[in-house]
Amino acid sequence: MIGKIVPIVTSPILALLIGIFFLGLSRKIMARIHWRYGPPITQPLIDIIRMFYQESVSHGIMFDLGILFSLAGSIAVVLFIPLGGMCALNSSGGLLVILYIMLLAPLGKALSSGEGANPNISIGVSRKLILSLGYEVPLILILLTLMIRYDTISIVGIVSQQGANWALFSIPLFISGIAYFLILPAILGIRPFDIVSAPQEISSGPDVEYGGKYLALATIEHALSLFIGNALFVDLFLGGGANPIFFFIKTLVVFVLCLFVNAVFPRFRIGQAIRYLWKWPTLLAFGGLIATLVMW
Amino acid sequence: MNLEILLLVAFGGAFITYVLGKISHRLRNGFAVSVSWFLVALVAFFYGKQLSTTFYSGFFDLPFILRINSLSWLFAIAIVFLGALSTVFSLSYMKGRKRTNFYYLMMLLVNASMMGVVLAGDLISFYIFWEIMSWTTFLLISYNRGPAIAAGIKYIVMSVIGSVSMLIGILSLYASYGTFVMSGISAGIASASSGYILLTLILFIIAFGIKNAIMPLHTWLPDSYAEAPSPFTAVLSGMLTRMGVYGFLLLMYVIVGATRIFDLGGFSYILAWLGAITIVIPTFIAMQQNDAKRLLAWHGIGQGGYMILGIAYGTSLGFVGGVFHTLNHAIYIVLLFMSVGAVQYRTGGERNLNKLGGLIKKMPIAFIGCLLGILGLIGVPLTNGFVSKWLIYKTLILGSSPGLAFAALIGTWATILSVYKFLHNMFLGQIPEKYKGIKKAPLSMQVPMIILSGTILLFGILPGIPLKVINEIGTSFGFQSLSVSAGGLVSEVSALNTINILAAIAVVGFIIWMFFRAGAKSTRVVQEDSYAAGTSVPKDRYHYTVKFYDPLFRMIKPYLRDIVDDFYNWIAGGARKIFGYIRRLYTGDIGYYTTYIILFLAFLILASLVWFL
Repeated sequence: MIGKIVPIVTSPILALLIGIFFLGLSRKIMARIHWRYGPPITQPLIDIIRMFYQESVSHGIMFDLGILFSLAGSIAVVLFIPLGGMCALNSSGGLLVILYIMLLAPLGKALSSGEGANPNISIGVSRKLILSLGYEVPLILILLTLMIRYDTISIVGIVSQQGANWALFSIPLFISGIAYFLILPAILGIRPFDIVSAPQEISSGPDVEYGGKYLALATIEHALSLFIGNALFVDLFLGGGANPIFFFIKTLVVFVLCLFVNAVFPRFRIGQAIRYLWKWPTLLAFGGLIATLVMW
Repeated sequence: MNLEILLLVAFGGAFITYVLGKISHRLRNGFAVSVSWFLVALVAFFYGKQLSTTFYSGFFDLPFILRINSLSWLFAIAIVFLGALSTVFSLSYMKGRKRTNFYYLMMLLVNASMMGVVLAGDLISFYIFWEIMSWTTFLLISYNRGPAIAAGIKYIVMSVIGSVSMLIGILSLYASYGTFVMSGISAGIASASSGYILLTLILFIIAFGIKNAIMPLHTWLPDSYAEAPSPFTAVLSGMLTRMGVYGFLLLMYVIVGATRIFDLGGFSYILAWLGAITIVIPTFIAMQQNDAKRLLAWHGIGQGGYMILGIAYGTSLGFVGGVFHTLNHAIYIVLLFMSVGAVQYRTGGERNLNKLGGLIKKMPIAFIGCLLGILGLIGVPLTNGFVSKWLIYKTLILGSSPGLAFAALIGTWATILSVYKFLHNMFLGQIPEKYKGIKKAPLSMQVPMIILSGTILLFGILPGIPLKVINEIGTSFGFQSLSVSAGGLVSEVSALNTINILAAIAVVGFIIWMFFRAGAKSTRVVQEDSYAAGTSVPKDRYHYTVKFYDPLFRMIKPYLRDIVDDFYNWIAGGARKIFGYIRRLYTGDIGYYTTYIILFLAFLILASLVWFL
């Protein structure tokens, strides 16, 4: 019993801390690349605590519930993902359930901000949904490749079968690995795919009506989604981790690589983003699937 | 208690309702509702029973057999339950309209004939009930007149084509085996040649495929769903269309039998791919729709693909998933059509998504129904749709069919896009000035919506209840039994446990809520009080949800035309032209007709001379 409860309690806390650390780190690294000094690495944490005590406006019940729903969804995903040998709920439906619970966060946010009746929100939500359709096409192909190669739908099974032979460096799967890395910025919502928030264009899109504690929750949700995107890559292609420390280091490396992409690229338009996502990553993912089917 | 009581109550109730309507409308409404709920109780009584009654009618000494087993029971209970809810929903929806007696008669007749279809034990009575069902449906689809007539005709033409094809199939079976009784035919067909089985399958599949709207036989559906009165659209989408699924089950697993079907090899594979195509294309077309009911109609086609995919794939997981999805789909699509119906009722028949908006505060129950309905349609965890879709995905992945699995999964993502637009444009966003004084839905509309919302959550959290019944059907067809638990499935290859998911989300949600409460209090503001970068958002209509997904459609629009419908229309146009020419022969002048007769006689004489000499 204790052995079950410990990961259930610790994994969300761990994910939360790492996610917020990522937020701080990204601002710092971006600043250094821009030759600025940048804010202290704890700035996002300070902001979140401060925002909890600030005034805010609400547009109705769905506005409140949606954001709670969205954050609950993100935390639930963390419970299903193995974090370096630690998986809180490992026997509850596997990768398919993860794929589905990952939906709750954007859906909750879309429902919540939808009640805000602000043009920027509608544009942002529509972009978010189109973008997610864009990257789901290659993502589903990649996940199918993995599930067929390892003949299981359980993510824990996929991690344990890799062991030291990372999927990224095994023969047919490296193609899918590259495809996943190409869509990772879109999953994380960073440049060149920051079309959803696009602060200079549509005033942060779905976040525009959030203030005070709503913004705090939205920030936490954003931090978690940064963590989840990277953690999935580490679990699926880098063999997870023997313990949470190794897992964290791997996630950090992947994230920093993504930040470099973020630093040098300008923003796509939504049409360009879809065209890109449905061209190279999809072709690679499809190639990986065919190769796996032929070789296995 | 005998089975004929069910049909007696159902058909008798329908006609008595009509007669009572001539006396008093209140009496009629009360009677219609009580008959439909009485039927629910009656059918529930037959749970777990295996009965069969034979009548010998005077019609060519053919036996008329009624029988009930686990499969017919599941469909029967769904039919009477959803039928009863729709009847309750009709009470306020139909109030003050014309020809309501006729409406209630037809509504109850549709339900009665559907029950006849699932209870029939021989093909002749099956066919008779099937035809009653088609004709009553036609009359209800064209109830509203105007464009509804055209939709109804489209439906009945396709339906007749299906019926004729089925009739040929039935007669050919009779010619081969000398019986119409299903058990007799299935005993005979076990030794038939593969070619004959294939022919029979194709003849029946045309009929069932048209009813279940499998691509490319789907074209009747969007028009009919959109034009029929909303409570009837609910029945039409929930159970009536799914009689096609019942037909498939009957054909594949009762008459022909699973072993022969899978001996044919390519057949179930092709059927599964038809299902996959039926998932993807209609779901993308649904995204473009601006008419609330038409949008749901395209999803009705798309979700039908999941059912066929699961049933045709033919493993025990896939079978259970397909049948369970039929049930789940019925529940949430009925709820969604009721929600649209409630909005239509209050806004004076408006169903253009671009003209609605912001109704969440005015019609909270309709909103909750709509929300749970779309969550079920997407298949979000903790709603019923999730469990059945999970079963289907898992079947496809473990069966190493990545192409089918990809189609099924991408269909879900396309669903999210279109149903978010659906919900957003009706209930979220900005409310038009003219709807500011709108009232919430009447009680007789709220009650069915609340019951159905509850069912969605119940089957999503405790899927073990329906899965147990469906598993029995599967084992009776010779499938391996699944180890069902209350929260899903227990098995070695990653089990499903919805109770775990519920616990995770509930506990996490509660903790976050506590944090949320602890933070500084927020002030409730009106929707016009929003951030617009220094300017103000215009007060009335500023509808930024028109062309919601335009950037996407600029790319994929060329691929999304309903080519099949265009093709059928082209044929219909050609036929109309030919009939136009033929009609010119009928001038109305006796002289012409006399000439025709003489010419025809001359032709006969000439022909006989040529023939015999």
